[in-house]
Amino acid sequence: MRHAVVLRVHASFALALAVGPVAARAQGTLVVQNSTEPPGLDLTATPASATAGVVLYNVQECLVKVDRHGRLVPWLAERWHTTDDRNYTFFLKRGVRFHNGRELRAADVKYVFDRAMNPETKHPYPGYYAAIGDIIVKDDYTITFALKSLNANFLLNLARQGSVIYPREAVDTLKSEPIGTGPFRLAEWVRGDRIVLVRNPEYHAKSIPRLDKIVFRFIPDPNAALAALKAGDVDASLFGLGPEHVQELQKDPRFQVIVGDTTNDVILAMNNSRKPYADVRVRRAITHAINKADVLKGAMFGMGRILGSNVDPLNPYFVDLAGAMPYDQARAKKLLAEAGYPNGFEAVLKVSPQYYYAVRSGEIIADQLQKVGIRLKIEQIEWGQWISRVWREADYDLTIIGHAEAWDIANYANPKYYFRYDSPKFQELFQKSEVTLEDKARRDLYVQMQRMLVEDAPAVWLFMHPRLLVAKKGLQGLWKDLPIPSADLSEVAWTK
Amino acid sequence: MRRYVLRRVATLVATLVCVSILVFVVIRVLPGDPALIIMGTEGSPEAVARLREALGLNRPLAVQYADWLRRALTGDLGVSIQYDVPVGRLILSRLPLTLPLMLMAAALMVLTALPLGLYAATRHRRMGDYAAMVLSQLGIAVPSFWAGLLLILLFSVRLGWVQSGGFEGWSGGVWPGVRSLLLPAVALGLFQAAVLVRATRSSVLDVLREDYVRTARAKGVSEATVLGKHTLRNALIPIVTVAGIQLGQLMAGSIVLESVFALPGLGRLALGAITARDLPVVQGVALFVASCIVLINFAVDLLYGVLDPRIRYE
Repeated sequence: MRHAVVLRVHASFALALAVGPVAARAQGTLVVQNSTEPPGLDLTATPASATAGVVLYNVQECLVKVDRHGRLVPWLAERWHTTDDRNYTFFLKRGVRFHNGRELRAADVKYVFDRAMNPETKHPYPGYYAAIGDIIVKDDYTITFALKSLNANFLLNLARQGSVIYPREAVDTLKSEPIGTGPFRLAEWVRGDRIVLVRNPEYHAKSIPRLDKIVFRFIPDPNAALAALKAGDVDASLFGLGPEHVQELQKDPRFQVIVGDTTNDVILAMNNSRKPYADVRVRRAITHAINKADVLKGAMFGMGRILGSNVDPLNPYFVDLAGAMPYDQARAKKLLAEAGYPNGFEAVLKVSPQYYYAVRSGEIIADQLQKVGIRLKIEQIEWGQWISRVWREADYDLTIIGHAEAWDIANYANPKYYFRYDSPKFQELFQKSEVTLEDKARRDLYVQMQRMLVEDAPAVWLFMHPRLLVAKKGLQGLWKDLPIPSADLSEVAWTK
Repeated sequence: MRRYVLRRVATLVATLVCVSILVFVVIRVLPGDPALIIMGTEGSPEAVARLREALGLNRPLAVQYADWLRRALTGDLGVSIQYDVPVGRLILSRLPLTLPLMLMAAALMVLTALPLGLYAATRHRRMGDYAAMVLSQLGIAVPSFWAGLLLILLFSVRLGWVQSGGFEGWSGGVWPGVRSLLLPAVALGLFQAAVLVRATRSSVLDVLREDYVRTARAKGVSEATVLGKHTLRNALIPIVTVAGIQLGQLMAGSIVLESVFALPGLGRLALGAITARDLPVVQGVALFVASCIVLINFAVDLLYGVLDPRIRYE
């Protein structure tokens, strides 16, 4: 009897599975897979790229915008002018409304930047605004920023995630209900599951957005994300898949695969303050001992670009130095012997398994360094530990990590940064580049800095992590490259 | 019985206090500063320091714990650092998923394990027994996350019968909710059943060798009555013990499966909170889960008395 009951139960499950087709999706809806849920939606409180990936340019916007080609374009400010590179006057676009219906005025802009510069507000990037001396509201649509010193990245900084414009009255709810002027407004955040954005009917730019609704679904497991794509439950994965999945999907006629450039430089960082890495010969030896082509092949299935210095290929001042310090084992051994390590040494490589490429690259590099006598022990540590021990305390020999921030060469000019690279000459070059606005002169300085990094080898620049985007065929308007960590979906649409 | 219950309640409270202290200390001893993790590698040291202060992490550990305990006693578990939502509300919001998932998985586990174990015992050392044992061995060997992925591949990718993940909620009716929990419940319940099958089989086998079973059979009692009334009832104590432990295992297993099926349940809340060092949430969830497990054990203990009238707690 009991057997019969069980059989009936199982039969009813089988029946249940056989019915109930997966609901068809409306044409104006896009379901996107994200691996990481944002730790709050307030871009003025968190530097998390997961937050920028949802909010930046979709929900909240800046005076200036970085477009899909990496160019700075006027946005909430329809134009600006400066006569002395110290006083920038911005003319706001008229008729721009926040999602709460109120019109954007110059006083809002002043409030936003005054708040960002106030040490009490915990803004993650106070340095972006350090050069600002005074902000003067001329009228409702005109505002002037008076700088204390020249700042070559001033306009770029106004386009970054910390510089989004929001209404003063919504400041207390930015973390859970961000209000902005973007093409989409937040409709729902089901913690742990999804964020839903809906079209802003009063958007200030013509003909966009082209979607009615975007659902960001948080699927942390890449295999589950792949299955969701294949089952048709999600339409696109913007960041969540690894190269092995992308390779598989390239063969699937239902999907389009975009492999683009990013600002994410994956590096083997060395603790320049610790022996033996304090010796430039050892750092150069390590660089020569690594076959980056094999690392890229093994860790990334060949997707991405080999790097030779810190500036990423999307930067206008990028110089391709991939061949400047070539793979040369004999040279590496010779340099090690000169530095007093003819038999190599032992070292610990700390990596966080949160980033698959770090662990994979580490295993290949351990094998390569072994050949010149450097015996590497790989220690996998959880992200929270990595950030405390490696990044903050510089308690490490070697580590592998991707640096995704654009224009991050500044890190090498900071001797307290976890590389502990302290070169007064480099610092001087960098300071000069910060106050040099003439393009050619600034480019020269950037070229010099990149070459100097190659010579000093404070780190090994392995490869640029590519953008690996998979979407159903028929979805158009997606950004190919990622000049800024944003998932701007304003121009995305389904082909009819 | 009353004294017994009171004693158990006191143990329950003591366990919870120990759990809360343990979690509080462990999560803070772990390297990884919540303020640093929130700010990430791009945040300035000043911003991190200000955030630490705002989160109250600068205060001595004992002060932080006392403060937390005082609030917890009034039902205030604090506010999530990550979500900016009261922890109690966050936990409650996950229960409409986690509880039905647990119930479905537990039902599947019991409904599969009991008949299969009973069947294996009655076919001792025959084909049916071997088949059941191979099946249960397979269930023990296959990790539930992998089983989950295989189920997704078959039922979502190949056949397209159910969604590959996500939870549709209960607002659209019972069926959409149940449908989104079916695969994870199967992955969780069926594979946890494997251990229970073995426990049922061996316990039933023991009882089948008892004199009273032989007597019942000699009296001509039908086999169904022998199994249902004389055997199973007497074999239930060890089965209930294992099932109680398995229920705790279900909770642990759900952490992984909720990630595979992208379900916003309690398990994923805990996992995300640990990664983000969202201390109030870790603390709250640990306390909640510990309470549940202690309550399950409590219920199991009470059930002993019901199942076997000889067990008296006086």
